[in-house]
Parts: sequence; structure tokens; C-alpha cells
Amino acid sequence: MIPGRSRLSVLIFLVPPLLLYGVAVLFPIVQSLFLSFFSWDGISDMEFVGLENYSRMLFGDDVFWHAFLNALGYLAICLVLQLGGALVVAGLLTSLRRGREVVKTLYLLPAVISTVAIAFLFQRIYSLEPEGLLNRVLGWVGLGDLRRAWLSDTDTVLAAVSAPEGWRFTGLYMLIIYAALLAVPKELEEAARLDGASRWQVFTRIRFPYIRPVWITTTIMAATFALRGFDIPYLLTNGGPGQSSELLTTYMYKTAFTSTDYGYASTISVFIVVECLVAVWLIVRLLGRKGDA
Amino acid sequence: MITQPAPAPVASPRTPRPAPRPRRKPSVHHALSTALIVVIVVVQVYPLAWLVLTSLRSEDDFAAGNPFGLPESITFDNYTRAFATGDTGTYILNSLIVTAGANLLIVLLGMMAAYALQVLGFKLAGFVRGLFLIGIIVPVQIALVPLFIDYASVDLLDTHLSMIIPLAGFALPMSVYLFSSFFQYIPREMYEAAALDGAGPYRVFGSITLPMSKNTVVTVVMVNSIFIWNDFIFANTFVLSEGLKTIPLGLQNYIGAMGKVDWTATFAAVCVMITPLLLAFLVLNKAMIYGLEQGATKG
Repeated sequence: MIPGRSRLSVLIFLVPPLLLYGVAVLFPIVQSLFLSFFSWDGISDMEFVGLENYSRMLFGDDVFWHAFLNALGYLAICLVLQLGGALVVAGLLTSLRRGREVVKTLYLLPAVISTVAIAFLFQRIYSLEPEGLLNRVLGWVGLGDLRRAWLSDTDTVLAAVSAPEGWRFTGLYMLIIYAALLAVPKELEEAARLDGASRWQVFTRIRFPYIRPVWITTTIMAATFALRGFDIPYLLTNGGPGQSSELLTTYMYKTAFTSTDYGYASTISVFIVVECLVAVWLIVRLLGRKGDA
Repeated sequence: MITQPAPAPVASPRTPRPAPRPRRKPSVHHALSTALIVVIVVVQVYPLAWLVLTSLRSEDDFAAGNPFGLPESITFDNYTRAFATGDTGTYILNSLIVTAGANLLIVLLGMMAAYALQVLGFKLAGFVRGLFLIGIIVPVQIALVPLFIDYASVDLLDTHLSMIIPLAGFALPMSVYLFSSFFQYIPREMYEAAALDGAGPYRVFGSITLPMSKNTVVTVVMVNSIFIWNDFIFANTFVLSEGLKTIPLGLQNYIGAMGKVDWTATFAAVCVMITPLLLAFLVLNKAMIYGLEQGATKG
């Protein structure tokens, strides 16, 4: 509390930000919840349908469940690439003696590139005709049998649209995890080594538990980002072929802006929010020690 | 990591070389991890290097030659074609307007909210912090349909503002959070001394808090600019007219406009449009990396 502050001065500083935040974020959330109980195409009158949209979504819509499972697959691939990849590189980086800054910068580069550009890039990397980078490399290393059109093969398309998203943000998480690893006290690690701990034991017993709070933050970030992932799948395949790379977000988008079914689209977006909240809750439950998360 | 394509051994010129063997402790482990990190960085950076190389390659070379090696000769024709096709200048200008507008709101309002929460303090501060937390967790998709409907009713569709409002709104929580954690470290004594000299909360904000926050401003602007400059979903939903398109939307035109995709020109356009942000990033990346590390590890 600084001297001379008044209730009015607090309001003057607080009201403008809350106004913008309310208009852009809070009010739309409430409005989505409201719309999810209606059937509305944007033109004719809104019709109150109660929970009908929800029962349609949960019990009568195969595409929804398909998209939900795909979203979980997308989430899994992103988490493995981003957190796993980030951890490996961060760990390696701590034993690097020079060039750390260069590696950090280079590794972060893809995060700066527009998703549209990334979609173009990967379209070319995955293509079979003309032969893209991935297929060319498979041929070189003697795995030519695996060559295929990654984006039109229903078996591979989900992985193919997830990988660019994972690739893109690995650098961001690497940076955060690396900063956390640097903060692990060297005395702890050395004491463990003197007691005969292997590198792996130092990692699992000392480093990993020590940076647990950062794990929680990064896992929440990566998970909620993956659950809202949209751009790259939308641009690469638009959910296809068929529904094999449809995510909840792309399905919601099409329901809203192609089929102009605003009510049902809002129901799906409420589900996406619930999904994110459940994910955060689960992460805190699973990673947090009881009581201190 | 494994599912990513292993690239050709064309190391990008800026890849760090393995460090020379250290004098004291020559260790296999160290050499291995250095080699591994070089490989990983190449995997990470090669696609981008390939993008740049392709934009400098002649069309024939791209179609007939080895498209993954070094180009036979360097040409800037693709850039000429790229500029001739789309309205590159307009896209860049629109992106600048949206990025500047949203950043202005994010910095100013974020700082004000953090000042009220952290420095002035009030009874419901915990509740307001909780409100801001919602915006970090909740995905932006929730706002698309409602904002589309609201904008249509107040005639905001297809304006710069229709992108700026949600971009700034969803970025505000993170900025409030970063400014709050910075304001914790401004010593109380400074405020008290200023109060003795007769400064009220507005003077304190203008002459102490604001000027001292310069570094945090750089961090906030840099982090947000990456997301705003590259925003696709709000621009794609709320903007229709050609003259208002930002870079991500403009890029899409290169695919549609030419029937058969002119990849070398498309990649040239990509290079032109990612360059401004890339330059800013390379110049300011120390500040940004510092801010990200601080922000996340303190969380």
C-alpha cells in the first residue's frame, strides 16, 4: 500500500484492463455457455433447446468422439515431442561447455515462424509426388518401403499433423527446463556422485524431483496449448482425409463457420474448456506432491 | 524426437562445431553429448535452412535437381515473382498495425492492472488474480463464436480492432503476471520517499514504476509479438477483405493464386514475411530468453 492511494485511484488503474479483459475473454465465455443451450443459425430466431445439444454431442455424434480421440492422440504426440525433446536437449545443454547461447537461439527459431509458413514447409516435407524430404531420407537410410503420402494416408495423417506442432515449440520448453536445471544446487549432485550414484540416478533422484514445480508449469502449458491446437491441422489437412485428422477445435470451427450451427459449436467449445480444466486438474494431481501443488 | 525426419548432413553454417577436447578431463560422455546436440540442432534448423535455400533456387533446379542440397546457382527471381503476386506490402503493414495496437494495450493495461494488484493493493486482489488466471487456461476458441456474433451486431467485423481486441485480451493475463512479479522487486522505500516529496499514486506510477519497467516491457512485447504477428485464427475468422489481411492470411494467397503451386516463389514470400519478426527476435532474443526463464521458473 503506498501512501496517498485512494479507492478511486485503485479503480482508475483497474477498470480499463478489466474492461478489455471482460469484453474479450470473460463475457464470451459466459456467452458461449449461454449459446450452448440454444439452437441458432445466426439468422432465424434462437430456440431454447435445453440440454439437447449436450446429449447430441455425447450420445449421437460419432464425429465428435472421433475428434476427441484424435485430440488425445495429438496431445500425446505434442507432449512427448515437446517435453521429452526439451528435457533431452536441456540435459545435454548443461554438459555443453560452449555455444549454449547459440544452441538456445537456434532451437527457439521455429517458434518465431508463422504457422502458415510451417504448414507450407511440412506439406512439402511430407509429400510423395514430388518426393518430399521425409520420403527422400527414408530412401537414403534404406527404409524406402515406408515411403508414402503421409498426409493422405489415414494411418499416418494424425501423427503427421501433430509432429510440426511438437517440433515448433520444443525450444520454448527446453529453455524453461534448462533454466530450471541450472538452478539445481551443484553440491547436491556432487554429494550424490560421491555416494556412487550413476548419471541416471542423479537425474531421477536429484534433478527431476528438484525441478518438479517447473514440470508442473511446462506440462500445463504444453497440454493446454496442444488441446487448443488448431492452425497446423486446419491448414495442412482441414481434418481430412475423411475425419482422420479432425480435432475438436477444427470440428468446432467447421460447425460454427461452415455449417453456421452456432449453438452446437458453442457446446463443443464449452467441452474444449472443460477438457482443458480437467487436464490442468489431472496434471496438478499427478505431478504435485500431496499438499504443496 | 525420433519421429522427426533425420536430415541430410548439410550442416547449417551457424551450427556450433563440437567443442575441442577439454584438456583436463577428456570424456567420452562429453563428446557424445556434444555430437548429439549438434545432430538435434541440425534436425531442428534444417527445415528452415531448406526453406531459405529453396527461395533462392531457380524453378528448374527445384524441379529437376536435388531439391535438398545446395542450389546450383542463386537467383532472386522468386522474390520478384512473390512481390508481383500478392499484396506483400499491405500484409506487412496490416500485421504491423495489429501487432503495435495489441502490444500497446497489453503493455499499458497490463502494467496498470499489475500496479493496482501489486503496488496499490486492495481487498479483492486475490479474486482479480483468479479472474486473470482463467484467461491463461481457457483456449481462445471459446471466444470465436460469441465475438463473431457481437462484432456483427456492433459493426466491428472486418476491422483491425476485431483482431486487436481478442489478441490483447487473451495476452493480458500473462502480461499482468510478468509485470506483477517484476513490481515485487521495486523497493518500498522508493515509494515512501516519493510520497514524502508529495507524489500521489499517479505520479509514482508515471515517474517510478513505468520508467523502471523498461526491461519487462521488452520481454512482454517480444513474447506477445511472436503470437500476435503469427495469429491465424482470429484473423481468419474476423477479417474478410483483402485490404485488411495480415501476413498469415496473405501467405495463403500464394497457394491459391497460381493454380499450380509456385513453390519457389511461395517460399520467397514466406522468407520476406517472416524476416521482420526474425530480425527483432535475433536482436532481442537475450531479453526474451531471460524473461521467459524468469517468468516460468518463478511460477
